Amino acid sequence: MTGLRLPPDAGPQAPADELAGQDGFTDPEHGAPAARGPGGPRLGVTGWLRWGWRQLTSMRTALVLLFLLAAGSVPGSVLPQEGTNPAGVDQYYASHPFVAQILGRLSLFNVFGAPWFAAIYLLLFASLLGCVLPRTLRLAGSARQPPPKAPRNLSRLPFAASYTTALAPEAALQAAAQVLSGKRFRVRAGPGWVAAEKGYLREAGNLLFHIALLGCLVSIGLGGLFGYKADRLLVAGTSFSDTVTALDEFHPGRLVSPADLQPFTVALDNFSASYVTSGPLTGQPAAFNAAIRYSATPQGPVHRYTLAVNHPLVVDGVRVFLIGHGYAPTFRVTDGTGHVVFAGAVPFIPVETSGLTSEGAIKVPDADPEQLGFVGLFLPTAVDVGGRLESAFPAPLRPMVSLISYAGNLGMNSGPPQSVYSLNTAGLHRLPIAPQALAPGQSIKLPNGLGTLTYTGYQQWISLAITYDPGQLPALTSGIAVLAGLLLSFLVRRRRVFVRAEAAPSGGTVVSLGGLTRSDAAGGFEDEFSGLAAEISAQHRPPDTGPPGPGPSGRGRSGPGPSARGPSDPGPRDPGPPPGPGPSGPGPPGRGRSGPGPPGRGPSDPGPPDPHPSDGE
Amino acid sequence: MSRPLSSARLVIGAAALVLSAAACSAGATAQDTAVGNGSSFVPGSYGTTVFQPGARPQAPQVSGTTLSGGAFRLSADRGSVVVMNFWGSWCTPCREEAPVLGSLARRFAPDRVRFLGVDIRDDPASAEAFMRTYRISYPSLNDPNDQIALDFRSTAPPAGIPTTLVIDGSGQITARVIGPVSFDGLKALIMQASAERT
Repeated sequence: MTGLRLPPDAGPQAPADELAGQDGFTDPEHGAPAARGPGGPRLGVTGWLRWGWRQLTSMRTALVLLFLLAAGSVPGSVLPQEGTNPAGVDQYYASHPFVAQILGRLSLFNVFGAPWFAAIYLLLFASLLGCVLPRTLRLAGSARQPPPKAPRNLSRLPFAASYTTALAPEAALQAAAQVLSGKRFRVRAGPGWVAAEKGYLREAGNLLFHIALLGCLVSIGLGGLFGYKADRLLVAGTSFSDTVTALDEFHPGRLVSPADLQPFTVALDNFSASYVTSGPLTGQPAAFNAAIRYSATPQGPVHRYTLAVNHPLVVDGVRVFLIGHGYAPTFRVTDGTGHVVFAGAVPFIPVETSGLTSEGAIKVPDADPEQLGFVGLFLPTAVDVGGRLESAFPAPLRPMVSLISYAGNLGMNSGPPQSVYSLNTAGLHRLPIAPQALAPGQSIKLPNGLGTLTYTGYQQWISLAITYDPGQLPALTSGIAVLAGLLLSFLVRRRRVFVRAEAAPSGGTVVSLGGLTRSDAAGGFEDEFSGLAAEISAQHRPPDTGPPGPGPSGRGRSGPGPSARGPSDPGPRDPGPPPGPGPSGPGPPGRGRSGPGPPGRGPSDPGPPDPHPSDGE
Repeated sequence: MSRPLSSARLVIGAAALVLSAAACSAGATAQDTAVGNGSSFVPGSYGTTVFQPGARPQAPQVSGTTLSGGAFRLSADRGSVVVMNFWGSWCTPCREEAPVLGSLARRFAPDRVRFLGVDIRDDPASAEAFMRTYRISYPSLNDPNDQIALDFRSTAPPAGIPTTLVIDGSGQITARVIGPVSFDGLKALIMQASAERT
């Protein structure tokens, strides 16, 4: 909305740049491609650059990019993503090896980190910035602009009125200016004319919209640069701090360094899950609650909190979500020399949800004489189904483990880091032990004096998603401001009123009024204009003048007071109470009254009702 | 990160570029996501950062309980060069560098160079077994809630496991190595820190 850009004497041919004002993007300078496109006359390097820049910052390009961005994120919700569901990605690779490879090449398993996705949003960012920034500057200028000079011939404006008064031209103009500034018009006076404008709030709203749009972009950028995401698995009875070495996964923003992490500490005291115990939903989770203690800083006070699904912990701007849970059976391993070489909880990962059967691995790299490894299942509620152990319920009603034992080289003394959840059996040999399910307290005695493993019990673990997005609140605020600005710019009209007063050859002063508005889709300016005209003409009537003043000059009208006409039809569009100001009807100042009001009505007088009381300066 | 490190960060970045080709195992913490597939690790960038005199961060006070149960304070070592190593018995690169640390600790023992381990995300039994395996005789602190790592957050935070810090006699951090140390590399860093102490 480039504002009232018409030259002041553009006359009644109306708001020509109304179209240009209707959207936030197209405007004469940045909208259309340059007149000389590639097919036109030869362009120099700068010409091409300018043409490219105009293409990029055009609204059409922005819309296409926006659409691409939306379309590009579709695979992110259809296909499993590495960031959120790495297991799903693996599964996909396993079940569709060929297709998965192609999809993987196209970064479709990591859409939001894909180069092509970055290209789209960077282009969109550039496009919006290139469009919005110059517009913002122009709007700021436009909002501060004084009203333009009054056109020479006010009768050519869409709304016009004229009459003669006995006042001198200067006095008449002064009175008119007073009325207008009393109505909170911005008034500018010149020799023989007064120009007034109102509805700058439209420009202010527009400005707000554009600035807030920039704010949105910056907020999103802030999140990408300074935010981070991390995961951590936490076994009950243990604690961790928000520092890189303590995190399982860490995805920092571009400008995040390990020193920037908020130094909070979280300890998990207890985790409880309850499950539906009857009906068709048996085994479905009913509630999860994690009782934690946390402190925001290393020596800070310790608080208690209960984490639940969708009930995150917010500490120092970081949000910690409970996103998963499982079991960590505890083991003690004694090696062949009699040393306890392992004693602790080993998180097992659920492989199915109805019984939470979980898989895991125990690695004992410092067992003597041979390294030991175990893989197996944890069954919360173990039941024998035809000779096979299964878990019938997710709660730990009959927690058992079933393990396969290995000895040899775990491959942990050198080489690539391993997952703690699986065993690389390449250097291992399976120990000949008859498979058996262990109940808490039971042991496996390994052959050849390799040692003993005891299943001592279990703990529960939770997995936490840690997110820090400093752009979130600014993005929300900017979003609200975008809406507010948009509403203002839609609801407020900018309108101008001009007054000219000249001494008539026959004596007295001819006062002519003209009005102009932009995008008056909702109507209403007509009434406002006629009301203003009535007030101004009332001011122009000398105090001793009786009811109807001198008839309007020219235009062959006979009604008292000023007459107003609309841009296209002579009467107000709404057939409301004020009768149309036809040549025979009373003029708008009547508005149902018997005549012009008493003299001396100041700006504080109620006057004709303002059709848009919300309009402001 | 305290801002004087920006050039240091460049060094790390360059080193990471070179090393990431060789060591695709740039991961250091071998703990995985809860729902993970078991193949993704926190990717630490391997590399050595040497802090120039004047830009050396002061090491924080470090205190804690050793694996064997004794109390320990780092400030008690002022005057000696201290090599601090963050490790875990489950961590492959830690096991890889353990023989280097063990032999350097023995070699520099007469020169009053102290070695100190910080055991991360480990159970004490496994950690003790690790120390037996690699004949590590210097003490290691138990850091079950990462408080020691946090203490270093504003100076030279351990950005992966293993991380090794060299602290000179005045308590200033002279170098940080992320990833397994090499015998010659760490030896040079220790000699440098010792030589500057006059």
